[in-house]
Amino acid sequence: MALAQQVQLQRDPGARADLVRRVTGSPALRLVGRRLLTAIPVLLGVTLLTFVVMNLIPGNPARLILGINATPGQIAQVDHQLGLDHPFWDRYWIWLDGLLHGDLGIAYSNRQSVNSDLAQFLPTTCWLLLYALVVSLGLGIGVAMLAARKPNGLADRLSLAVSMLGLSVAPYVLALVLIWVFAVKIQWFPAISNSLGSNPLTAIRALTLPAASIGFPLFAIYSRLLRADIVEQMQREDYIVTAKAKGLKPWRVLVVHATRNSMFTLITLVALNLGTLIGAVAIIEPIFSLPGIGAELISAININDLPLVEGIVVVFALVTVAGNLIADLMYAVLDPRIRYGRSAS
Amino acid sequence: MAARLPDMTTLLAPGAQPLPSLLSARRLKNQKLARTLRFWVPAGLLIALFFMCFIWPHIYSIPPGNTGSILAAQEPPFSPGHWLGTDPDGVDIFSMLVYGGQVAFEVGFSVTAIGMVIGGLIGLAAGYFGGWADSILSRLIDVLIAFPALVLVLAVAEVLQPSEIHLIWALSVFSVPAFSRVTRGSTLVVREQPYIVAARLSGTSSWRIILKHVLPNVIPGIVTFSLLGIGVVVILEGAVDFLGLGIQQPEPSWGAMIAKGQTVLTAQPEYVLIPSIVLLIFVMSLNLFGDALRERWGVR
Repeated sequence: MALAQQVQLQRDPGARADLVRRVTGSPALRLVGRRLLTAIPVLLGVTLLTFVVMNLIPGNPARLILGINATPGQIAQVDHQLGLDHPFWDRYWIWLDGLLHGDLGIAYSNRQSVNSDLAQFLPTTCWLLLYALVVSLGLGIGVAMLAARKPNGLADRLSLAVSMLGLSVAPYVLALVLIWVFAVKIQWFPAISNSLGSNPLTAIRALTLPAASIGFPLFAIYSRLLRADIVEQMQREDYIVTAKAKGLKPWRVLVVHATRNSMFTLITLVALNLGTLIGAVAIIEPIFSLPGIGAELISAININDLPLVEGIVVVFALVTVAGNLIADLMYAVLDPRIRYGRSAS
Repeated sequence: MAARLPDMTTLLAPGAQPLPSLLSARRLKNQKLARTLRFWVPAGLLIALFFMCFIWPHIYSIPPGNTGSILAAQEPPFSPGHWLGTDPDGVDIFSMLVYGGQVAFEVGFSVTAIGMVIGGLIGLAAGYFGGWADSILSRLIDVLIAFPALVLVLAVAEVLQPSEIHLIWALSVFSVPAFSRVTRGSTLVVREQPYIVAARLSGTSSWRIILKHVLPNVIPGIVTFSLLGIGVVVILEGAVDFLGLGIQQPEPSWGAMIAKGQTVLTAQPEYVLIPSIVLLIFVMSLNLFGDALRERWGVR
């Protein structure tokens, strides 16, 4: 808020009410509200789509639970227990009602609540993604600054080649090559790990190869994007010229002024990409036998376990939608041009 | 989407291009040569791969890619008759690469083409007309983007028989929203241009404006995006085959070859490495070719 406005505010009591009106009507808050509202139909759509798709899969869950020798009476009884004797819309409604109360239902396969299943498998996946994100972001930012220092220089060309590799390699191929090199040839890391254990060091060792398989493509995207953004800032923006004219050292201009402003773009990309990360988890976790929700999703689909699949899909969709929201909020809250309502689209 | 989407299409563009040197004719020549190479090396690799997959088997007879003799199992590379060797079932590895490559080409190109046409039209209409139709379409696209692709692909594999054509339809469900989002974004920019306003004021019909004025201006961006898209689809197709839910054994596919090789990774890493390297070359050529096209057309 400009100083003149503050001075006026202290003089004029009516201006205080005006401020309240301005905050509640601020473009940033309205934007946040609008985003929250549009997130609801998206989440509903995703859960409904999952319900429809899973219902199309042939095979009776009761028969899967009881085995081939079950009598029709037993099947009907289990159908009743699982609520499968209700029509489609009733079942969706009951499930949705449970979701709003924080209850994701009972998994068909092990008759445990989906909540406890998720509580069991979610931490592994979270640690894995956190590891991959932190390392790829750290390396990506460092390499981007090195490359942007001299566009088309040696560091830039090298990092371009490395990131081209990262953008073109399939994660499952990378995982197998890493296993072959680091677990078979030189035995630094385990190839499979059924649990993370309680020792943080063993957990880090177990997660390193899967995190690298997920993180390397990310590193490629992040470093290239950030580099392009920094180079653009260094060439176009007035405050860079000012900083240089002030006589600041080149590295200081690069690190403090250009990179800091480019972080906006990077954080937006990270937030928007959260959803796709989860797809990678579903392929990488089974390769390393990691007990996370990605591996759990694959096995749940294979045994037609609708409540478990729904529970995991809801988590995925929530993360995706939250990522989009965070990206929007970052702009709304941090970018002064949107905060003051000059451009909200 | 209110946030300025990071411009994914400029990820690899080298950014500041050095100005054509006016002083040194030799440097200018070198720059031109580098530009030509950046275009023709990936293009040549793609043509070579296409030739290997579709034309080679018609000229030279190669062993079948789905069956082999158990007597000729696990032959090392450069054995007579099997220059890349055979797998544990005695199937010729080069033949599997060729027939698996046909699948990769067909799935990659058709999924992208379907996404480009349907998604492009949806994106054009949503971006140009705006209003409530745009809101509804954008929400539908958000739903599809938040929906894990694997669930649908797995379900399609279980409900319909897993086959190449079903795989194409299942993957198209995800290429359509991607293309419509990109097309909508660039349509929004083009819509504000003075020549569109002029066309509108002169009474040109909306569909004519879209097809004659908007479309030609968004096409370069869509085509370069589609080259990246083919790479993504080929990797995804491999992932589905890798999980055993796409092309069914014994029909060969690169993903299935890699999955099969995983079981003998310690003893014979070449079963994983050979298809992996071909997959990498394919996707990388597509990415580099997309970059070169972007440079030629000046697409940002």
